[in-house]
This record gives sequence, structure tokens and C-alpha cells, in this order.
Amino acid sequence: MHMADALVSAPVALSAGAVALGLVIVACKKVSEIKRTDIVPLMGVLGAFVFAAQMINFTIPGTGSSGHIIGGVLLSAILGPWAAFITLCAVLIDQCLIFADGGLLALGCNVINMAAVSCLLAYPLVFRPIAGKSPSVVSVSVASVAASVVGLLCGALLVTAETELSGITALPIGQFLMFMLPIHLLIGIGEGLATAAVLVYVLKVRPALFYDPDRISGNESGKLSKSTKRVLWTFAAIALVFAIGFTWIASSNPDGLEWSIMRITGDTELAPASDPPTAFLPGYESALSGIIGGVIMLCLIWVFSVLIFRKRRSSKVS
Amino acid sequence: MAKLEKALLALNEFGRSRKSDISPVAAVIVTLFYIVIVLTVPVSDPQRLVWMAVYPVMMAEYCGAGFVRIFIKSLWVLPFVILIGIFNPIFDHNPGIKIAEVSVSAGWISFVSIILRGLLSMQSLIILGYMAGFLDICSSLRRIHIPRILVTQLLLSYRYLSVLIEEALSMRRARQARGFGSDKLSLSLWAALVGQLLVRSADRASSIHRAMLARGFDGVLPLVDRGQSPDKNSILFAITVCVAVALLRWLPFDSWFGFLNF
Repeated sequence: MHMADALVSAPVALSAGAVALGLVIVACKKVSEIKRTDIVPLMGVLGAFVFAAQMINFTIPGTGSSGHIIGGVLLSAILGPWAAFITLCAVLIDQCLIFADGGLLALGCNVINMAAVSCLLAYPLVFRPIAGKSPSVVSVSVASVAASVVGLLCGALLVTAETELSGITALPIGQFLMFMLPIHLLIGIGEGLATAAVLVYVLKVRPALFYDPDRISGNESGKLSKSTKRVLWTFAAIALVFAIGFTWIASSNPDGLEWSIMRITGDTELAPASDPPTAFLPGYESALSGIIGGVIMLCLIWVFSVLIFRKRRSSKVS
Repeated sequence: MAKLEKALLALNEFGRSRKSDISPVAAVIVTLFYIVIVLTVPVSDPQRLVWMAVYPVMMAEYCGAGFVRIFIKSLWVLPFVILIGIFNPIFDHNPGIKIAEVSVSAGWISFVSIILRGLLSMQSLIILGYMAGFLDICSSLRRIHIPRILVTQLLLSYRYLSVLIEEALSMRRARQARGFGSDKLSLSLWAALVGQLLVRSADRASSIHRAMLARGFDGVLPLVDRGQSPDKNSILFAITVCVAVALLRWLPFDSWFGFLNF
């Protein structure tokens, strides 16, 4: 589910980054309004917990394969939506910077697809209404599966939209969705069952760990305050300006435009009618020379870098 | 289980890294600039991406990681990228280029481009880790006014990652010792294991909180400024690398090597 930088274009990644940053700022504001001081270490340790828990796999019966949790709904059930969102953002940044899991520029996409969707959409709109104020084994189980499925499907929809908007895949959007949604439906059910199993265990041994908005002062669970709404609208407007601006810049790039026209209309508008179907396209005559030249130069530069930098380091050490 | 051990090793290795004198702010800016520029290369132009590989090749040697090691680490990104990119050769049969006498469809060209984009961006990200180190990157995030709560979370989760990974490892070893050779975890057993880890984590958080209160914690965690403000060298480095990357992106190298066409 982690999107790599390769699968997004710069305008899409930067727009998603702006929206994600806006959400993070709002979330930080909401969390700073919480009066509990123990929320800070609890968030930090649970972030590390999610990371460690993701590395313990359970066996999926009958398939021979294994799965693990993603943790958005689980964290929200313990910490509440906004604190869980920040914690999951921190986990995603850790994964990106320490383990190179997911791209740096695609971080905004990953924050929206995984953290925002599960914590700020699936938890408040699906989990809490089903689980209710006094959760039972049945209500927590149903809520976990429903929220995880909704979160994973919305995340898959967003991944599809971001990849299609980036113009990366030639797969038509309908077929892309037919590929993504069934897989993520299954993953969502697995995630839901795993989340339910852990939450039922917590409900039995430590029910006080469950998030209860009434215990928390401040308006953590209430409606958005006016100032928060203003911040959200400001960031939505900035994101829109980013999106329009970068799309305009990208579309004014002749290479990108030429490629888009070729993708949409075939080669009839770009290549002379007399050209055979496998003839060079205009602008691509030097493909082989470019590749060979590039590889030769890369090798030379590598040798040069090794000689210069290693020599300099060894002289520093001595 | 190898995953947990590998993560612990990676974490320890990452904690030790920071092999350059360049300020982390400059390293983050340069990396972001490079990835943005790589992503502006159209997927119909893989030869330009070959040129863009000059950055990871040089920087890997500069930060002392070695390009071969960075390249091998970056191969990790391939499965997901291939999963999405492989549809391009299947659906896009438009004519692309001709290498010698062999025609290559536009779908295959974009597929190669996607893989190259994945490798290059991943390599630059790994190099950032070697250049700056996680703790210094966190300090630099605070310097560019990323909210304190998020930076605190990054530092705390980083601090407790190794602790909880070790705890998960010991729990898993205990299970293995009593598993009569079976290493598989059913969902119910897995839930008990992970649930127990969650309860232990919460307990750990509350004892950390008590320790913090004993040291005067008032809800705001003071962050130590690691004194990594960009110096003259770092600014010069950032400008030089950004200009070089821009030249790699837009200089007409293909025409310079036209004599190689056959």
C-alpha cells in the first residue's frame, strides 16, 4: 500500500503533500488542546508498538501466506482519531526515512491514503457509531471489520486516483479499480479481523485502554471549532492553488504534452503518414546514443567519485 | 521473524550513520529537489533518467556508503513498482523507439522509466539517511517549523522502536521455544501476542510518563537543538548540487552522443 515516488508525478505528490501538511497542523492543534499530559509518551510508545506489531505475521488459514496489521483503526480506538493520525504519520515518516518504505515525495499521498482515511474517516464515521459508547465483544468486532474494510477500500480508491492523475499507468481506470478493489477488500477483511482480535483481547484484559472522549477535556471528539475550520479551508485553498499551478506548469512542458497527445491520439498526429508503424518517432532518433552515452558517462563518473571521495576520506583518517 | 531482526539491524545501522559534514537541512532540500526533478522527467524518456543517475552515483560515494550497497538496498522498491508498471507493456502497444533493428513499444519504455524512477528516488532517499541521520533530520524539521508535537512523536517512536522490537523478539522466542517446532501463529494466538505487546507498551508509556513528570514535564517535551544550522559550506553544497541536477535534467546530452547511433 505504501506508494513509491515512481508512481506519482510531481504535481500530484506536492498537492497531496500540501493537503497532508494541512491535516497534520490541524491534528497537532487538536492534540495540543488535550489536557492529559500522558498522551505524549503514550503516542510515542504506541507508534513504536504499531511498527513492531507490523513485523509479527499471522498465518492466513488455507492459503499458506501470512498477514499483519496496518494499525490505523487500532490506534484510533486507543488514542482517538487526531492523536492516532499524528502517531501513524510519525510511523510513516519513520518507515520512509529509516527503512526506505514508501517514497519521500509520495509521503503526502501515503499519509492521506493510510493515516487520514483510517483515523479521520473510517474511525469516526464507521467504528464509533457501530462500537458505541460502551463497546462489547460483538460491537467491537463488527466495527473493526467494517471500519478496516472502508479504510482500505477508500485508500485503494485514492491510490488508483493518484496513479491515474499522475499519468503513470496505461491501465484504464476501470480495470485498475477492478484490480485494486477486490485485493483491498480481502486485505481489509483480514485487517479488520486482526484489529478485532487485538481489541477484543484489550477489552478483556484492560478495557480502560479504550479511547473515551468523555474522559478527555478539550474538544478532541467534538465538532470542529471555527478556528480549525478556518485553518482547514485555508489549506484546502492552498492545496487547490498548488494543484492548479503545478498542473499548468506540467502541462506547459512540451515533453509531457507531446507524450500525452501520443497516448490519447496514437501516433497519427505526430508521425508522418508515410512512416511505418515501428519507425522512429520524432524526437527519439537519438535514443540509443543517449542510453549508451549516459551509461558510459555514469561509469566514468562513478570511477571518478570513488577515486576522489575515497582518497579524500582515507587522507582524513590518516 | 527475520523481519524483526533485520529491522533492528537497520535501526542500529541508521542510528550510527551520518557520514558527512553537510547540514541536514541542506541534505533534505537537495534530496527533495532531486526527487521532484526526477519525477518531472516524462515516462517516455528513460535515457534522461540514465543521466539523472549521476546524482546517486556521486552522492553514494561522497557520503561513504558506496553505490553498490545503495543500489542493492534500492532493489527493495521493485516489487510494488513492477506490479503497477507491468500493465503498461500489456495495454500500451504504441510504437516507441527502435534500438538497432528492434522496435520497442511505448509501454515497455514507460515500464523501464517507472522502474528507473523508483530506483533513483529510493537511492536518493537512502543516501539522505546516510548523509543526515534520523535525529539530525528531526532537528532540522523543527527548524523549518514542522509542528513540535509531530517532531516529538518522531523522536519518541524512534527511541522506543528498538525497545519494542526487542520486546517483540523475546516474546516471539518464548513462543518458539514452546511451539514444538512450529513457527506459525494462528490469528487467536497472534492476537494474544500482539495484545499483550500493546498492554505492555501502554504500561511502559505510563512509567515513562511518571519519570517525565518527576523531571518537570509539563506537557511540552523540550527538544535539544543539535546545532545543525546550515553553514556556508552546506549552502554552497546545496546550490551546487541543485544546479547540477537541473543541468542533468535539461542539457541536451542525447545530441552530444549522436555519433554513437548505429
